[in-house]
Amino acid sequence: MSEWLESAIARAQGINDWLAPKRAHALELLANTKWPTRKTEAWRYTPLRPIERTQAKVISEKVALTPVSIADLSAIELVFVNGQFDSAQLPETLPEGLSISLGGDLDAAEQAEALSGFSAIKPERHIFGLVNDALAQDVVVVSVAEGVEVTLPIRISSLLSQGAESHTRVQVALATGSKLTVIEDLQAQGESLNTAFVEYNIAANARLEHYRFALQTGSNVAVGGSHFNLHDHAKMNSTIVGFGSELSRLDTDIIHAGEFADAKLNAMYLLDGKELFDLHATVEHAMPNGKTEENVRCIVADRSRAVFNGRIHIHRDAQKTLAELNNRNLLLSDKAEINTKPELEIYADDVKCAHGATVAQIDKQALYYLQTRGVSRSKAQVMLNFGFINELIDLMPNAALAEWIRPIIRERFAQMEVK
Amino acid sequence: MSNTKSLLTIKDLHASVEEKQIIKGLDLDVKPGEVHAIMGPNGAGKSTLGYVLSGRDGYSVESGSVMLDEEDLLEMETEDRARAGLFLAFQYPVEIPGVSNLEFLKASVDAQREARGEDAITSADFLKEAKAACKQVNLPVAFLKRGVNEGFSGGEKKRNELMQMLLLKPKLCILDETDSGLDIDALQVVAEGVNSQRSADRSFIVVTHYQRLLDYIKPDFVHVLSDGKIVKSGDASLALELEAQGYAWLQKEPVEDELEG
Repeated sequence: MSEWLESAIARAQGINDWLAPKRAHALELLANTKWPTRKTEAWRYTPLRPIERTQAKVISEKVALTPVSIADLSAIELVFVNGQFDSAQLPETLPEGLSISLGGDLDAAEQAEALSGFSAIKPERHIFGLVNDALAQDVVVVSVAEGVEVTLPIRISSLLSQGAESHTRVQVALATGSKLTVIEDLQAQGESLNTAFVEYNIAANARLEHYRFALQTGSNVAVGGSHFNLHDHAKMNSTIVGFGSELSRLDTDIIHAGEFADAKLNAMYLLDGKELFDLHATVEHAMPNGKTEENVRCIVADRSRAVFNGRIHIHRDAQKTLAELNNRNLLLSDKAEINTKPELEIYADDVKCAHGATVAQIDKQALYYLQTRGVSRSKAQVMLNFGFINELIDLMPNAALAEWIRPIIRERFAQMEVK
Repeated sequence: MSNTKSLLTIKDLHASVEEKQIIKGLDLDVKPGEVHAIMGPNGAGKSTLGYVLSGRDGYSVESGSVMLDEEDLLEMETEDRARAGLFLAFQYPVEIPGVSNLEFLKASVDAQREARGEDAITSADFLKEAKAACKQVNLPVAFLKRGVNEGFSGGEKKRNELMQMLLLKPKLCILDETDSGLDIDALQVVAEGVNSQRSADRSFIVVTHYQRLLDYIKPDFVHVLSDGKIVKSGDASLALELEAQGYAWLQKEPVEDELEG
């Protein structure tokens, strides 16, 4: 066990609140979890040295930070600053049918419900998920009432100042037939460490539009997860954009717990310098007639490293499942690295399941076509590489977010191409 | 016309693809304002000619020369050939999802203006021009926002090629089987677009398997390409002759040159 984990466990033992039984359970599991090494499959390409030697510390005094503003986007701001929930940034009144509360402030019945939902979707196998179970102080509970469509998106921001360590946790429950958009964002300054986990329970016929931006770069260490539980006819559409950092690891789990659920996941990451981004995406088709479509695209430049593990598990009862996983990668440098591993486990016999993973250079035909119109080879390459990612930006349902992220990605791209 | 300088002069061109010789001693002379049709059976090298002239990777010239406006075309990179005024309308234009048609068109026009030493066109002005071009080729303006050729039908792709031609204003346009896969209405739209661009300083090479397109785009000269060479040349009436006879005679008879010129 690492010193870092020992200290985390020691700190967690001092917390006594409404989540005590869950925290105790997590600590028990942690006590029996080995610190991952290169031999641990889930962490094979993502060494934990940056966590082992981190100087980041919990900062308990209040720091004033606000999330970046996004033109044309008005959102309900759910802000954590250095791990502390800043309720002052929430609007004074929330739309009818939406509630956002600190778990500790809920009444007994609500608390009992939140407690039973806590860590019920996020799998226990994730060591830092357990750390978050044990250490996340301000757990925020979001719920949307039955049939309510919330038009304003909720933006969950984890803001970290230089040297901060933070653990944030949100539980989101969409009741039957409701509709919600959630944006998860991390903005971290300098060397800092963050674990951020959000669990989504999406009841029958409910719809979630989801975004997770991990644009931190630099010496930040970010480990987190977004975990989704889909009931009958529930729908989700998720977009992930990652730029990597010294260590960025994201786990997504999509569980088809009901029939006729529909999940879309589009993830793109663009890495530069010595950055690392590791996405582990797991889909569990436990029930019949589910549909999953995953598109993961990644561009690596310089000496950066991308890891993608895409697991689709179709259980014995999950007949008539349609699942598709497409992973395409582009290498801009000889020294960059891509480790991609699609894993399909299919136990039902009447399913359609396809996967493809390619690591490629640029499409020569398209390059030639652009050149025949007078576009220089180098400019054509930039256009095509950007187009590779832009295809997924075009699929983002929220236009304001797409228009915000497009120039940011374009700028990053220009930097990546220079080398 | 015979006294004016040539726009394109191809002399004894030999070219191959993957070490297979396709063009075997081709000569062609195109003067400004002329429309030349190149007809021939499948496999004669019709499409290869366009690829060789545009400098596609994998198409290598073994001997011969190609001059465009008194410049050595074969010495240039593909993009420089385009900037020198060459335009190839593809038989099967490639789909490029993620790159919007508008962005692509603007990048093309910008690159060519820059090469000519002209100022860059503003986005607003360009959008106006692009919309007008859309209208002229009967493509909905919404196609400007879509990925290049992405999900376009065969006819829409051809009209998109034509739109590029309208915006780029090349000196020499090679239309590679632009009629293939088009119904008669689409064919007319394309032909009208081409005809609207005919001028004293712009030339066309219309490559086609069928005579049909030439009912709408009247050529000044018709050439028959067979086994990598031009084996017969004539005026527009040659196309009708070919339509009546087909190409079978090419395989049977030795080549005669009496119609040359």
